[in-house]
Amino acid sequence: MEEVVVTGMGCVSPLGNDPEVLWKNLLAGKSGVSNIERFNTDEYPVHFAGEVKVFDPTPYFTEKELKRYPRNVLYAMHSAMTALEQSGLDLKTVNHSRAGVILASGMGGVDVYYNGSLTLANKGPKYLSPYFMPSVISNLASNFISIRLGWMGPSFATLSACASSNYSLISAVDQIRLGRADIMIAGGSEESVGPLALSGFSAMNALSRRNDSPETASRPFDKNRNGFVLGEGAGVLILESRTHAENRGAKILASVPGVSLTADAYHISAPREDGKSVTNAIRYALKEAKIKPQQLRYINTHGTSSLRGDIAESIAIYNAYDGKIEGLKINSTKSLIGHLLGAASAVESIVTILSLRDQKIHISKNIEEKDPDIIIDVVDKESIDYEFEYAICNSLGFGGHNSVVIFGKES
Amino acid sequence: MEEVVVTGMGCVTPLGNTVTELWESLLAEKSGVSNIARFDTSAYDVHFAGEIKEFDPSPYFTPRDAKRYSRNIQYVVHSAMNALEQAALDPKSVDPTRAGVILASGMGGMEVYYNTSVTLANRGPSRVSPFFIPMVISNMGSGEVSIRLGWMGPSFTPVSACASSNHSIISAVDQIRLGRADVMIAGGTEEAVCPVGIAGFSSMRAISTRNDDPEKASRPFDKNRDGFVLGEGAGVLILESKSHAEKRGAKILARIAGVGMSADAYHISAPRDDGEGVKLSIENALKDARISIDKVGYINTHGTSTPLGDVAECSAIYKAFEGKVDHLKVNATKSMTGHMLGAASAVEGIVTVQSILNQKIHATKNVFEKDERILLDVCENGASNHSFDYAMSNSFGFGGHNSVVVFAKN
Repeated sequence: MEEVVVTGMGCVSPLGNDPEVLWKNLLAGKSGVSNIERFNTDEYPVHFAGEVKVFDPTPYFTEKELKRYPRNVLYAMHSAMTALEQSGLDLKTVNHSRAGVILASGMGGVDVYYNGSLTLANKGPKYLSPYFMPSVISNLASNFISIRLGWMGPSFATLSACASSNYSLISAVDQIRLGRADIMIAGGSEESVGPLALSGFSAMNALSRRNDSPETASRPFDKNRNGFVLGEGAGVLILESRTHAENRGAKILASVPGVSLTADAYHISAPREDGKSVTNAIRYALKEAKIKPQQLRYINTHGTSSLRGDIAESIAIYNAYDGKIEGLKINSTKSLIGHLLGAASAVESIVTILSLRDQKIHISKNIEEKDPDIIIDVVDKESIDYEFEYAICNSLGFGGHNSVVIFGKES
Repeated sequence: MEEVVVTGMGCVTPLGNTVTELWESLLAEKSGVSNIARFDTSAYDVHFAGEIKEFDPSPYFTPRDAKRYSRNIQYVVHSAMNALEQAALDPKSVDPTRAGVILASGMGGMEVYYNTSVTLANRGPSRVSPFFIPMVISNMGSGEVSIRLGWMGPSFTPVSACASSNHSIISAVDQIRLGRADVMIAGGTEEAVCPVGIAGFSSMRAISTRNDDPEKASRPFDKNRDGFVLGEGAGVLILESKSHAEKRGAKILARIAGVGMSADAYHISAPRDDGEGVKLSIENALKDARISIDKVGYINTHGTSTPLGDVAECSAIYKAFEGKVDHLKVNATKSMTGHMLGAASAVEGIVTVQSILNQKIHATKNVFEKDERILLDVCENGASNHSFDYAMSNSFGFGGHNSVVVFAKN
């Protein structure tokens, strides 16, 4: 089976719309969480988020298109085009029938759904825009990008709540391994910082309400964590078969030696406390990659800053390592950008790859007092230099969808 | 690579909530399309749909549960449980780490999305239910079924508009082929007959406005078709590796001989008129099945009753067969169920398997005057007996997400 490698990355995030800018900010411990500006949050219990405040959708869209396409598609497109640019892929020479697009979005065009519903309710069906339906569906980003590029390979969206974009990566890897495609665009996008998602997650008591100190609200593994911080943006990776990448002399950023997907089969929003399914996911991925746990020295955790989630995940990791965790370092990117939902794993995979490239691990911010039950070494003081060949990006979605992607350093 | 077989099926459709009822209704050319009863449609341009009118959520949901679980989740849980019963598969008897659930939905909890938006705007954030998020996200069907069964294998939700549940079947086949699972629940669900569904599609002018004659509105391949008819429901198939099925003495209903996908890469809602995307997905499926096209005796088309889509699909099929279509029969289940969106391909996959088992093809209803550009036998004159080993189930989603599943007689 073909080996899969990464040849390009692009993103839109609360800390920058370029992987290098994002990375630099993460290493510096800069927070992308702040008070929400996009809409008035006075009546909401939560006033802050990892909001994308600076984003220029041109040059990829006309004025007309900007009015028609929801933010999640704008974010995805920007990320995909910049990733393609990095990959150096000559779009004219690609075999279009073997090039596909699988992108995820946990909730699709949330803001369009919200506004359209109000139009329907207040003015009536005849006022609903003909662009409403195509704009709200979660597969619009996949569709739009395949149209723009003329890519006729496998194309659909993968949804699994907070783990959506890892599932996109895994599905894209599968298409290449199964010989259906040579090159795949994969990742996810989310436009979550809006009235509906903010109220929905806060109604579940899932969000931190630390309004007096937004930048310290997202505190995975801290003893006083009290919920996640909503974020938004997009992450896209260009995946290729190694053969295809080498044949065109592409610069390979990382390899993808192992992936796995399991389910908790437990509860619609709470994780299994024993972390058994996550342990299995880590083990299966390691087995597929043919590496021992001790060779995998960095995990970019799901680490949402939720009371139950962080501890369950650390138990799972501990068990996957049979307790032999010396040499393993973990962190959580969500501590600095919040939880990007359907875009989270893609952006965190990008961070994982840059960590491998630079042999550095960014700080897991806001750990004022580490939870004593979490005995794995968290990079909590400052970003560090570290030697490691393999790393995991973990993503565990509401509904118990677990996913592990292993990246390997490319020399 | 493991071969994949079908061992169980279950459904909730406008023509009945068991596979037997659905199949018998199709053979009898009944229509599941009628005036919408669920909400007042007077302000809407379209007053009819393939609505689920009779559905008893028990025994899988109590009346209290029914308030916390979106209709699409109720439909798919019911379908999954029935499918398991047919498969004579006790969920506890399988290795749970090698049993997964991949269920699709085009739009998830549509009603709750709409209702909550209105509540939020009118009454404020404090009135938003804590169940909003779990009810609305499209992956909850997969989540809920895996929770109920205790199945810890691969689980997520593919979304590709009208092709969603074919992508689910394909993804589930992949898990078995890649050795990650022995058993997979696959299929899809949709609760589209609701204000947002009707208004959204009618604003696009995608649905028929034949309000004076609902039963005759869904007329794939007819010269005077004017758009699809919205439907809803769920379809589930139990897929297993052949060795797992044989080992437990399961009755194999059909084999999955091959799968194929492609993208039109053309327009967000109109199909390619040169049919290249459709042709590519058919070719990919045949290649995967390792059969030449002349072995395919039956195609359950996407056949939505849209002016552009039907002719594009039939032209692509005709070209793929190089005009040698004497032994090929095609039909459109949507002529009687309407378009069940994210559930469509799964239900049509079930119909395809039934057709193989019975060596019968149901009619395409409402073909009063066949579109003369369509050169295939579209079974407009009633159900018929037909001898065939291989059949295709086509699904071409809005935006050009193309998917083909080839089923074979066991």
